[in-house]
Amino acid sequence: MKKKVMAVLLTSVMAASVLAGCGGSSAPAAAPAAPAAEEKKEEAPAAEAQAEAPAAEAPEGADYEECTLKFDWWGGDSRHEATQKAVEAFMAKYPGINVEVNFGAWTDWETARALEYQSGTGSDVTQIGSNWIPDYDGDGTVFLDLNTVSDTLDLTQFEAGDLEKCLDPVGQQAGVPVSMTGRTFYWNKTTFDKAGIDVPKTVDDLIAAGKTFQEKLGDEYYPLTLGEYDRALFMSFYIGAKKGVPIIAEDGTLNVTKEDLVDALNFIQSLEDNHVIPGIAQLAGDGNVTTNENPKFIDGRYAGVFEWDSAPLKYTSNLAEGQELVVGDELDFGGGVYGNSAKVSMAFAICATTQHPHEAAMLVNYLLNDPEGIKIMASERGVPASKIGYDTLNDAGMIDPMIAKAHEAVYATNPMFFSPKFDNGELKGDGAAYIDAFSGLSYGDYSVEDAADVLFDAYSNVCG
Amino acid sequence: MKKNKFLKDNIGFLFILPWLIGFLVFKLYPFASSLFYSFTDYHLFKGMSGFTIQNYIDVFAKPLERKSLIVTFKYAFMTVPLKLVAALFIAYILNFKIKGVNFFRTAYYIPSILGGSVAIAVLWKALFKDDGLINGLFGIFGAGPIHFLSDPNWALFIICLLRVWQFGSAMVIFLAALKGVSVDLYEAASIDGAGKWRQFFSITVPLITPVIFYNLITQLVQAFQEFNGPFIITAGGPRNATTLMSLLVYNNAFKNYKMGKASAQAWVLFVILMIFTAISFWSQNHWVYYADEDGR
Repeated sequence: MKKKVMAVLLTSVMAASVLAGCGGSSAPAAAPAAPAAEEKKEEAPAAEAQAEAPAAEAPEGADYEECTLKFDWWGGDSRHEATQKAVEAFMAKYPGINVEVNFGAWTDWETARALEYQSGTGSDVTQIGSNWIPDYDGDGTVFLDLNTVSDTLDLTQFEAGDLEKCLDPVGQQAGVPVSMTGRTFYWNKTTFDKAGIDVPKTVDDLIAAGKTFQEKLGDEYYPLTLGEYDRALFMSFYIGAKKGVPIIAEDGTLNVTKEDLVDALNFIQSLEDNHVIPGIAQLAGDGNVTTNENPKFIDGRYAGVFEWDSAPLKYTSNLAEGQELVVGDELDFGGGVYGNSAKVSMAFAICATTQHPHEAAMLVNYLLNDPEGIKIMASERGVPASKIGYDTLNDAGMIDPMIAKAHEAVYATNPMFFSPKFDNGELKGDGAAYIDAFSGLSYGDYSVEDAADVLFDAYSNVCG
Repeated sequence: MKKNKFLKDNIGFLFILPWLIGFLVFKLYPFASSLFYSFTDYHLFKGMSGFTIQNYIDVFAKPLERKSLIVTFKYAFMTVPLKLVAALFIAYILNFKIKGVNFFRTAYYIPSILGGSVAIAVLWKALFKDDGLINGLFGIFGAGPIHFLSDPNWALFIICLLRVWQFGSAMVIFLAALKGVSVDLYEAASIDGAGKWRQFFSITVPLITPVIFYNLITQLVQAFQEFNGPFIITAGGPRNATTLMSLLVYNNAFKNYKMGKASAQAWVLFVILMIFTAISFWSQNHWVYYADEDGR
C-alpha cells in the first residue's frame, strides 16, 4: 500500500513537472483587465482565443454580412488586453461579426505568420512589421490593396507620405500604418545622479560618461547597453550624421561604401573600448536575456537603453524600486548634427485571401479611426499615425506621457526614413549579418575591416 | 466466397490505412520533395529559378556550414559517451537494494521528460550565467567567474551537459537489462574471488551489450538531431559555437526561407547519421553479445 501511495505521488510529481515545463496558454478575449499596478509589459506567450461574441445577428439593413474574421497581432500583455477589449467593443457595435483573435510574443511570431501568408492561410486582419510588405508581398498577392476598401477604411486620416511607406513593390496599398517610430535614448537618472553627471545630450557626453561610470561606480556600471541590432541602428545614426543619408535609402539604394562602414564600426567599437557599452560576450554571460529582463538593467548597472519611442513602458515597469528612467534627447553628433531615422512601427494589413474584405476593413477602421476603438487601444501601439487617432487621444490626455515625450524627441530632429530592407532577415535574423559582424567584432574574431566586409556584402546582397 | 476471402486477406490494410495515409502524406512526400528541393535554389517567397548542386557544396565549403558540421560532431561525440556512461553508472547503483530506491529511480528519470522546455532553459541560464548559481559557488572558494554561456569553448559543453543530465530514459533501459542478468553468475564470480569491478566488466557489461548497442544507436540519432537546447538556451551563440546542423536547417528554412539550402543541409545530416548507424551495426559483430545460436 505504502509503495502504491509513493508511486501515485511520484507519478503526480512527474506529470506536474511536465505540465509546468510545457504549459501553453490560452486566454479568452474577454479576460478581465489586470489592475494597473500589476500590469506587466513584458511579452506574453502566444494564445489563441475566440472572442466572447455576443450571440447576435446583424440587424436588418446593416451594410455588412454576418461573418467570422480572424485577427492576429504580437505584443505584450497590456497590448493584448487593450486589443481584446477593442475587439469585444467592435463585436458589440457590429453584431453578427465575430472576431477570432490570435496573439502572442514577438519571438518567432514573424516566422509563423510568414508561413501562413505563403500558404494562403493568413488571418483576415493581421498586424505586420514594416519590412514584411517587401519581404512577403513582393508580387502584391499576399495583402489586399486597401484602396479597394477605401470606402470603408478611411485612408484620408493618414499622411500621404506615411501611406507611401506601406506600398508593395507593385504600387498597391498593402498596409495602413498604425504608428511611426524611431529610436531614442532612455536613461536611468538614478544611476547618472549617483555618478554625479547629467544624462548625455551629445555623443561626446556619452563617451565621457563611460569613463566617469567606471571611475566613480565601478567596472560593472555602463551608461548604455547595446545588443547587435541596436549597434546596427546606432551605426546608421552615425552614418546619417556623417553623410546626411540613411544606410539604405527609401527606394532601396545602398548609400554607403565599405570605407563608410569601417569608419562607423570604428565608432561603435570605440564605445566598447571606452567603457560606454558592455561587450557582446558580457551580454551573453548575463544569460542572453532581453535588456528589460536583464538584472543589470533592472538594478541600474546598465543605465541606458536605445529603444523605439513606442516601447519605454516595458522598461519602466521592470525597473527596481527607487530607479527612475527618463526619456533622453537624440544625441548630437557635434554642431547640432543628428543622424536618427524613423520608420513605420507597424501596420495593419488585410490578407488578400479574405472572404470578407469589407468587414475586415471595418475592423481596421474601428481600431484606427473610430474614437471608441482609438480610446480603447490608446497608445499601446505607439503614437497613432491616424490624424483622428492622434487628436482623439491627445484631446483626452490618453497618450502615455513617456511615449509622447519619446516620440517628440525622435521627431524634434527631423529624422530620415530608412528602407524596410534595413530589417531584412538576411541582415537582422538569427545568425545573420548584424549578429555576425557586431559579435565578431566584439569578440575579437573580426577586425573592423572584416566586419565591414560582412556588412557590406550583406547590404549589397539585400539591395540587389 | 471469393469476396470474403479477399476482404479477409486484406482487412489488415484497412486497419493500417490511417497510419499509411499519414506516412505517405506527412513523411514520404516531404522526404522525397526535400530531396528534390535540395538540388534547387527554392526560396519560400521568391520561388525557384533552377537546379544546382551548390547547396551541397556550401555545406562543406562555407565557413558557417562547415563550423556547424564540426560543432554537431563535437556535440554528438561528447554527449553520447557521457550520457551512456552516466546512465549505466546510475542504473548500476540503482540496481542495488537501497532504501528508497523507487524515489531515486523516479528522481533520476524526471529530467529526461522535461526535455527542452522553456522552464529548463531558464533554469540552465540561471545556473550558468556569469553571476549564476554555479559561479556563485565558485566565488565562495575565490574562483571564477567562468563565462559558461559567453565563452565559445564552454557554451557547447553546457548544452551537452543539459542532454547528459537527461539520461533517465537510457537509465531505465539499462536498469531493465541489469535486472535480466542472472544472479547465479555473480555468485559464481564471487566464489571465484572476483570483486565488484571485475564482476561489472566481466559479467555485467558483456551481458548487456545488446542494450548498450540499442542505447548507442538511439542516443546517436538523438544527438545528431538535437535542437531544443541550443535553440532555447544560446540561440546558436556565442559566435555560432552551439549552432548545430539542426539549428542551421531551421534558420535557413524558417528564418531565411531558403528551403533548397535547408533541404540539402538536412540531407547531409541524414546521410551522416546513416553512415554512423551503419558503422555501429557493422561494429556490433565485434563487441555485442547475443545469447542465441552461436552466441553472437
